[in-house]
Amino acid sequence: MTPLNPIHPDTTLIALIDRVALADEKALRELYEMTSSKLYGVAVRVVTNREWAEDVLQEAFINIWRIAGDYKASLSPPMAWMALVVRSRGLDFLRRRASERADKMQELDDVISDTVEGDSPNPMDTAMASEQARVLHHCLGQLGNKQREVVSLAYLRDLSHGELAEQLKLPLGTVKTWIRRGLEQLRGCMGRLA
Amino acid sequence: MNLTRNPALIEQLAASYALGTLRGGARRRFEGLARKDPAVRAAALIWQSRMASVSELQPEVAPSAAVWKRIENLLNGEKQAKAMLAARVDSQPSKNESTGWWASLNLWRGLASVGAGAAVAAVLVSANLNTLNGQLGGEVQALGGQVQALNSKLLATPEIQYVAVLADDKAAASMLVTFDPKSNRLTLKRVGGFQESADQSLQLWALPQTGGAKSLGVLGADAVIKLTAAGSDVNVPTLAISLEPKGGVPSSGGPTGPVLFKGAMIQTAL
Repeated sequence: MTPLNPIHPDTTLIALIDRVALADEKALRELYEMTSSKLYGVAVRVVTNREWAEDVLQEAFINIWRIAGDYKASLSPPMAWMALVVRSRGLDFLRRRASERADKMQELDDVISDTVEGDSPNPMDTAMASEQARVLHHCLGQLGNKQREVVSLAYLRDLSHGELAEQLKLPLGTVKTWIRRGLEQLRGCMGRLA
Repeated sequence: MNLTRNPALIEQLAASYALGTLRGGARRRFEGLARKDPAVRAAALIWQSRMASVSELQPEVAPSAAVWKRIENLLNGEKQAKAMLAARVDSQPSKNESTGWWASLNLWRGLASVGAGAAVAAVLVSANLNTLNGQLGGEVQALGGQVQALNSKLLATPEIQYVAVLADDKAAASMLVTFDPKSNRLTLKRVGGFQESADQSLQLWALPQTGGAKSLGVLGADAVIKLTAAGSDVNVPTLAISLEPKGGVPSSGGPTGPVLFKGAMIQTAL
């Protein structure tokens, strides 16, 4: 970091997580204020419903409160670590829900179709993101819009080729090709930059 | 398959492993390789870390202010539970911070809404039950005597199996419900200001996970209402109270009037 740079957000976040690990409630509050919009965005993308996403965000922060002491060992950028907690809680939530009521799938379907139709150029948000995420953002930007979206959704919602094809109403072959080519391009791009 | 001599293939598999699209036997074989071969393991970890950043790139959306409130309440509830457990049941219920009663209330609602582990809920609720009772009196002074009666009943009755706080759409508590399986007795205590008019009745409903609402009875106008119910009737996630014509819904169907109060049923012991 050059002296001209302001303090990288990662530094602030790491310091806060360290304090949370010592059961500092004020630090949790600050951490929440800095990251909740970002993390709620992740939750909304994973579970596709704002109300559910609020439950997920709440569970995630309780989880972060309890496991903040484990953060250091993960060697991850702080936002990536927290986003991972949110994604895990979100996937748990979907699994619980799926086992509770199978009829919700239709609802999920519609929302996912909506998001893939969205053709905005590269809507990803790098504010607060780690260096690694900026590189990924750049490399995902090299993919076609739908291809990028399919790769992102495969990860965020932990979907197989078959599930993606079914939910996005795309031929299985198309999904497989997009994912394979997407990963190849990412591999080349990330290899050069990171 | 001499995978370890083919870095491009390792990378490709590691990327699909991290993305989650490598499934079934192929995934298990890759995991086996990663355990044996540090280069494969390293590639898997690098790609897991890279993919994790997909989450970082999602657009921001501001959550409602209620979420932080719920988190705060859960933390307060946890602290109280710890303090209560440490102090043991015998000692006087401690005077908690101003948030005590509400914290407990929201704690239950929060836990119920996220469907969090029943075991956690049970521990927290049983620990909070005494606090709750201790503070009820102060919160609704107007109903003093009867609250005290319910209070001592609650304290004297370790058989309380379920507790629910039914709240209106502004999350104001309106009805405290307990169930005692020994006597099959549901006890409802009005804690809000609501009073139905003379030509109307409140009706209590059990809302099971699947299927329609089941009537648990029509409520009298008293501050404390006792109903008889079987354990199986109250073993439901949610209770609700609707406003009905005097005497309740005439047919055996579900509620016909508006649902005024609703709340999660919390089991106090497993």
